[in-house]
Amino acid sequence: MAKMHKHRLLFAKTGRACYISHLDLMRTFPRAFLRAGIDVKQTEGFNQHSFVSIALPLSLGYSSVCEILEFELVGDTPLCEVPARMNAVLPEGIRVLDCYEAQVPVKQIAALRWVCRAQFDGGVPAGAGEQFLALFDTDALVIQKPSKKAKKGFTELDLIPLIHSLSLEERGSALELTAVLAAQNPGLNPELLFSTARERCPLFRPDFVEFHREEVLNANFEVFR
Amino acid sequence: MDPRLNRILPRVQKPARYTGGEYREIQKDKRQVDLRFALCFPDNYEIGMSNLGVRILYGVMNNMDGVWCERCFAPWPDMEAEMRQAGIPLYGLESGDPIGTFDFIGFSLGYEMAYTNVLNMLDLAGLPVRAAERGEDAPIVVAGGTCAYNGEPLADFVDIFSLGEGEDVTVEMLELYRKGRQLGWSKAEYLRHAAQIQGLYVPSLYDVTYHEDGTVSAIVPRDGAPEVITKRIVQELDDAYFPTDTIIPSTEIVHDRVMLELFRGCIRGCRFCQAGFCYRPVRPKSREVLVQQGIEACRSSGYQEMTLSSLSSSDYRQLEPLCDELLDYCGEKNINLNLPSLRADGFSMGIMEKLQRSRKSSITFAPEAGTQRLRDAINKNVTEDDLLQSCRTVFEGGCNAVKLYFMLGLPTETDEDVVGIAELANKVYLTWRQYAVSRARGIRITVSTSFFVPKPFTHFQWEAQISMEEYQRRVQLLRSSITNKSIIYNWHDPDTSFLEAVFARGDRRLGPVIEHAWRSGAKFDSWSEYFNLDRWMEAFGACGVDPLFYTARERPYEEVLPWSHISVGVRPAYFWRERNQAYQSVITPDCRVKCMGCGADRLLACGVCDAPLTRREREEAQANG
Repeated sequence: MAKMHKHRLLFAKTGRACYISHLDLMRTFPRAFLRAGIDVKQTEGFNQHSFVSIALPLSLGYSSVCEILEFELVGDTPLCEVPARMNAVLPEGIRVLDCYEAQVPVKQIAALRWVCRAQFDGGVPAGAGEQFLALFDTDALVIQKPSKKAKKGFTELDLIPLIHSLSLEERGSALELTAVLAAQNPGLNPELLFSTARERCPLFRPDFVEFHREEVLNANFEVFR
Repeated sequence: MDPRLNRILPRVQKPARYTGGEYREIQKDKRQVDLRFALCFPDNYEIGMSNLGVRILYGVMNNMDGVWCERCFAPWPDMEAEMRQAGIPLYGLESGDPIGTFDFIGFSLGYEMAYTNVLNMLDLAGLPVRAAERGEDAPIVVAGGTCAYNGEPLADFVDIFSLGEGEDVTVEMLELYRKGRQLGWSKAEYLRHAAQIQGLYVPSLYDVTYHEDGTVSAIVPRDGAPEVITKRIVQELDDAYFPTDTIIPSTEIVHDRVMLELFRGCIRGCRFCQAGFCYRPVRPKSREVLVQQGIEACRSSGYQEMTLSSLSSSDYRQLEPLCDELLDYCGEKNINLNLPSLRADGFSMGIMEKLQRSRKSSITFAPEAGTQRLRDAINKNVTEDDLLQSCRTVFEGGCNAVKLYFMLGLPTETDEDVVGIAELANKVYLTWRQYAVSRARGIRITVSTSFFVPKPFTHFQWEAQISMEEYQRRVQLLRSSITNKSIIYNWHDPDTSFLEAVFARGDRRLGPVIEHAWRSGAKFDSWSEYFNLDRWMEAFGACGVDPLFYTARERPYEEVLPWSHISVGVRPAYFWRERNQAYQSVITPDCRVKCMGCGADRLLACGVCDAPLTRREREEAQANG
């Protein structure tokens, strides 16, 4: 079993930074640690660099206020100084909110709370929200999920066990969905809810959906840190 | 950022190219800004952000009070299509504001194949591509970089060409603009005044006439514009702005590392090399400044890789102590130090071994030509012995892959020279057989040939380019001469080199061709997935221009070349003398062995090029008695 990293950063990724990919972020943080003069445990290859790992990579274009980066502080930098020093050298939109010692392994992350904003340019059609919720109010909803690994080019996935809760609220010309979804093994990308709804609910055809990761939860649906 | 982009960006490839917001991007308060400049690079973000010149000018301009310089790159065609469909004009990455409303739009021209992207970007900015059709309120369009030395094919589209190094002249150009605005000058008045600044070439102030045979008969300045426009240089590189505190892209770019420039210019005088002459005179930076800037750049960027750059790094006099001092820092911080552009000699191999923190598995040499006779003709002073000795050193160190770069179609090249490439590669193979530490893993020797493009401001500026058919014949000849299975042969497609040869030495009659090709869809011509020679040939036909006039014709010395009114500081008579030496395969010693009087030293206030000590070093030596 891999040893747990000692320390964690809780960070937000919003605004223009939503378009920084996971791989690019994995390059950005080690450089930022160096710029901040914070000593971090290094990898042991030929090209040594800070050994960092980001739990549950976020899809490109999504925003989040609960990203977790694991690393190990090796110098004598006090943990409380880390956020300010990092924030001084990070790109716009990436903000370190907290730095702390890890208590439980990230594999105990069980669920994520998402806020997804479905924009209807011509106004929300009457009944669209009801249709959306009704679609998922069932015992099983098996969809075909595109997969590069599977021979058929897709795998079958039942969405229902991966959905812990859904609630919708109408805000102006948008429907705002708050969803608690399985985080890993397997996780459910909220985009799948919308692509499925688009196929099966005639009224639910939003022009654009924004995805925002709001909280990381454990199996008891308590905040995970 | 335009909110409409939020809907577009999730659909395009690599959206981080289009957002800005990187660490150290410059944001300014618009209320404090009176001059806005869009620094445009006519290729994608990854390539543009790798350009040191762009980073220097970005810093120089943003260091000016009240000036806000923003970056702008050519959107990849998927993004362009989305922008056009949504009606989003080209915007500056920093503010997201449309660049069509800025005071200046500046292009960095590094490569002829980017010309269509210049037009496309002007069009995306919502501006007419032709300078004459842009109104008083439209931004001033300026272009600099290597291609600006003969910018004639773009003369219809550009208001000002900035010749040479931009550190000083850009500031002067912007200050003059402010003065003109205060005095209420029209655009035409501003351009007339700008033409008086050394290094600024305003093409609309020159009338070009042609002989019946299509050659230029005269280039006549108007409204007091100078007869010869001389490029600008930075006098003291030690004092010049260097971007140690530059933008760190949030996405991977081509040169994603610290670039430390050792010196400008080159002492070598390879007869085909445009950079070797256009960047003269040779001006080194002092070691102390380089060490300090190198360390500062690593510290402030977080990069763990640094490249020492120049045209021929072995010629930096204090290379070894410089590397030692940088290694002291880099070794401790796990920073890799790269040293490309080394000569194939023992001294360089020694330094390279020192920098290597592990065995290097592959190395690249550029002998350029296959026989000593032709290498002498092009003044590439590398001998077969040098090359084989260097190969021996790397083979003994465990290297098992060598890349060799050559050009086909060099002036005076014969079939013997072509076959000579295969023979040289074979000798490299035999050297490996003799000296390899282990033959078990085999050897891979890669021979690559490109198609020689004669460039202006070189000894070969009067030469014809061989035809594409002849190039293909030579490729086949070389191909059939390589029988060793360990030698892999790659050759460049001749299409783009042919077009490059047209535009490199082109004149103003090519403007309509570029516009026609662009209107028929040409863009990103340096990318094979978008390049289409047929489209270009159709454009030549439609405009009644014969491309062979520019490529296949050897020019007499008396001919008025389209760039005759431009000076890079090197005398045309020197170029011609050297050209004749080439035909006799007579080598010319490098500048340190003997000054050949090229004339570039006249650009220096101190009159001494390649001074053994920089001013700072002389002053220090004096202070220490």
